[in-house]
Amino acid sequence: MTDELAFLDATAQADLVRRRDISPLELVEAAITRVEKLNPELNAVIHPLFEQARTATRSDLPQGPFRGVPMVVKDLDGTLAGAPYHAGNRLLAELGYVPETTSHLFEKLLGAGFVFIGKTNTPELGLMPTTEPLAKGPTRNPWHTERSTGGSSGGSSAAVASGMVPVGHAGDGGGSIRIPASHCGLFGLKPSRGRVSLGPEEGGAWAGLVMRHVVSRSVRDSAAILDVIEGPMTGDPYTAPPPSRPYREEVGVNPGRLRVGLRTHTAAAMGETDPECVAAAEDTARVLESLGHSVEVASPAALDDENLMERFMAVFMSSVRAGLDELALLAGRDVRPEDVEPTTWMYASMAADVSGAQYVAAVHTAQVWTRHVASWWADDGFDLLLTPTCAEPPPVLGDLVSPDDNPLHGALRATPFAAYTAPFNVTGQPAMSVPLYFSAAGLPIGTQLVAAPYREDLLFRVAAQLEEARPWADRRPTVHA
Amino acid sequence: MTDELATLDATAQADLVRSGAVSRRELVDAAIARIEKTNPEINAVISTRFERAVTDIDAVDAVDAIDDSPPSDAPFPGVPFLLKDLACPMAGEPSHEGMRALREAEHTATHDGHLTRRYRRAGLVVLGRTNTPELGLLPTTEPDSYGPTRNPWDPQRTPGGSSGGSAAAVAAGLVPFAHGSDGGGSIRIPAAACGLVGLKTSRGRVSIGPHAGELNRFLSVQFALTRSVRDAAALLDVAAGEETGDPIVAPPARRPYLDEVGVDPGRLRVGLMTSIPGTADPVHPECVAAAQDAAGLLESLGHHVEVSHPAAFDDPSRVGPFLTVWSANAAYALDSWGRALGRDLGEGDVEPLTWALASHGRSTSATQFLTAVGEMQSWCRSFLDWWDEFDVLLTPTLGEPTPALGSFAATSESPMAGFMRSASFTPYTPVCNQTGQPAISLPLGHDSDGMPLGTHLVAAPFREDLLIRVAAQLEDARPWSGRRPTIHA
Repeated sequence: MTDELAFLDATAQADLVRRRDISPLELVEAAITRVEKLNPELNAVIHPLFEQARTATRSDLPQGPFRGVPMVVKDLDGTLAGAPYHAGNRLLAELGYVPETTSHLFEKLLGAGFVFIGKTNTPELGLMPTTEPLAKGPTRNPWHTERSTGGSSGGSSAAVASGMVPVGHAGDGGGSIRIPASHCGLFGLKPSRGRVSLGPEEGGAWAGLVMRHVVSRSVRDSAAILDVIEGPMTGDPYTAPPPSRPYREEVGVNPGRLRVGLRTHTAAAMGETDPECVAAAEDTARVLESLGHSVEVASPAALDDENLMERFMAVFMSSVRAGLDELALLAGRDVRPEDVEPTTWMYASMAADVSGAQYVAAVHTAQVWTRHVASWWADDGFDLLLTPTCAEPPPVLGDLVSPDDNPLHGALRATPFAAYTAPFNVTGQPAMSVPLYFSAAGLPIGTQLVAAPYREDLLFRVAAQLEEARPWADRRPTVHA
Repeated sequence: MTDELATLDATAQADLVRSGAVSRRELVDAAIARIEKTNPEINAVISTRFERAVTDIDAVDAVDAIDDSPPSDAPFPGVPFLLKDLACPMAGEPSHEGMRALREAEHTATHDGHLTRRYRRAGLVVLGRTNTPELGLLPTTEPDSYGPTRNPWDPQRTPGGSSGGSAAAVAAGLVPFAHGSDGGGSIRIPAAACGLVGLKTSRGRVSIGPHAGELNRFLSVQFALTRSVRDAAALLDVAAGEETGDPIVAPPARRPYLDEVGVDPGRLRVGLMTSIPGTADPVHPECVAAAQDAAGLLESLGHHVEVSHPAAFDDPSRVGPFLTVWSANAAYALDSWGRALGRDLGEGDVEPLTWALASHGRSTSATQFLTAVGEMQSWCRSFLDWWDEFDVLLTPTLGEPTPALGSFAATSESPMAGFMRSASFTPYTPVCNQTGQPAISLPLGHDSDGMPLGTHLVAAPFREDLLIRVAAQLEDARPWSGRRPTIHA
């Protein structure tokens, strides 16, 4: 039974439970068996929660839409009371830190009937587009085990791609849902700013750059899960306008004839885009055209702004430094260089001289820049922007890891992987990576589609259309259940 | 006709135009006459654009009206209006934010703010800009640059601040309503001091673009001060709504706010607070009495009132992060105005309080700023839990009767003296800026000297609809439109 279950999506697994074809415990045990079999090779799950999962499943699971369906949660972008939280950091691992609160997001997923069977690997504090923390070792890409899964939600992505579980929780502050979805052949949608509460532990993480959701194999799972987790919670500093109807109802709805702009270059300072990534985006453009949409080479001029990354980095580095301050509070002592990875320390050190006023100025310029980007959708009449998700195919493991004496290496090598994704963390727009293309070497190459603010509905419509036109559900990676 | 128009709210003035009884030009000419006659007594309006305003009207009347001209069904055709000289820029008009250096440089804005454009599209005719303390930092309106604005109810007293110029102008009948902004109470405080309706909108309700995305890490919001609740509702329908690229957007209302006027709010659960936050001691007895009186009025309307408030209101640690955010933004404001002027602004260019706050802001690191924002957000969650059990928090708007002008001046020993003095005057307003909640001050009471006293109602996030319903109900039960200040056009 395991093999058949492994590649059913969460919606299908939930249907089996509803029809009493299978019990929640059978679903969960099968998933645990898959993790035990596959994880030694992939290192996706770093904190198994098998016993907690069994206990939860034997008790009365909530009668939610995903009752009894196993999933994994990332060891970042949310806390689960009683489960370890290390955030890819060796100091937290040494402390054996276990939080006492559960994030609203996790409460909602549990309330929907999901069973958490483990927590997944993440780069330290989610700072890299690869998942190779020194504290926990690299997660391996199921499509090619010498390659990166991407990051920061690489552990969840490897678990979902290999068939351990149908969906994995993820978070995205610069591309961390979309990048690993691209590298692992998954669907990954970053919701709009304010769509999912980051509470109670955070208000607006990284000045509003971060959003949380899942990586999944099917579009319908992503839509139905966003229905579960969206919506404000008491005290959120801001909240997105609510959808007009459930996102799951957008799956299958004709999006009409869309006007799509294609962009296959980054701002010049960020380097060239690999021809295979360009080919992936152009291939998706052709599929969109075959579906009746209009595609032309066009994109917001503001995306060519050379200073963009600088603005992003001032906010980003200050947030890293604030993250180390929180780490110090948890540890009860100052954080030392040896407590974190070299690149993390470098980011935090670079933020030391940034004043509050400079931070305010950086946010201000980013907000004004956002208006220029958004006007392409509002005033120029485009519905979607189409780009490669990353400027390079999945790199080999180790490629993005900084040597001790050169912390800048990782930061520079990260750029091509986040160059297309990070701008939309600054603008807060919804964006997704769709798995339509494979490189000559057989590696997945994702395509990013970006909608106007708060238009996840449109993204789900067009994603479902692409999924139907070019199904990916039957593709299997090298390492799979 | 002038005297009669002066007492009408904006809706009534617009109705006169719509019925053909009065032309737009007549409305505007009458307002110009009132400003010329009465403003010298109160110093509310600090710059005027009378000729350009008349030109605006003539342009609308022309057959080939400009693209930006109001549509024929604009809600406020020809109604005179004033903009506070803080944020809300208008192309070609002064933008001085109470700063001497900007006044001396005769700085003018290069573009209209989104809100300015929305106001003008609604038919409003902007006649000038109103006084504000430097950078809006005080609950009084006495900048060195433009001198004190006087309270029309007693010219020796403060009109409150920072929207004190707009408040004095509306209270004195110069215009029926005027723009204001609120980062710690700056709409509600002067509304209370001048006997007006002051609605602080929810975070994300009104865009402050296109030149910026946020004011003071979302603490500050913009809207207006009005004499009637219906004007506040109708104008909110004009002001509210997403603009391209807004960093955050409040969930839109289900129906126009104007439609909430007259709707039964149902039986509301109201918590009454009259203690000084962090203590069991009451605020000034006259303010306590006014809030208790409002509580009685709410009970007589069928609402349930009990003594209750969020426990987090008494947490003293909420104040520090607020100061950190304001300080960093004061430093940022001086930096960016310096860039606009092409020279660094020094200690001699600004008031002592501004310099002290900006210096504090300059010594604040980005990390400390982020920590403060994080602490504030965490505090908000516990504060807002209270609204699970209640609909409205009722407090006096202010903690003491309106002080004399000069009460908030810096001293040679302490540049922060006026700022510290604010604490007992404005104990209740800043929390709503931290949480982003909507709140309203209503002129339901007055003290033994006959000065207005405000009643402050705070709703859950995004519930302006509820505030407008209950405010209209209170206005109907105890109308205030017949009261006139000493100085009136």
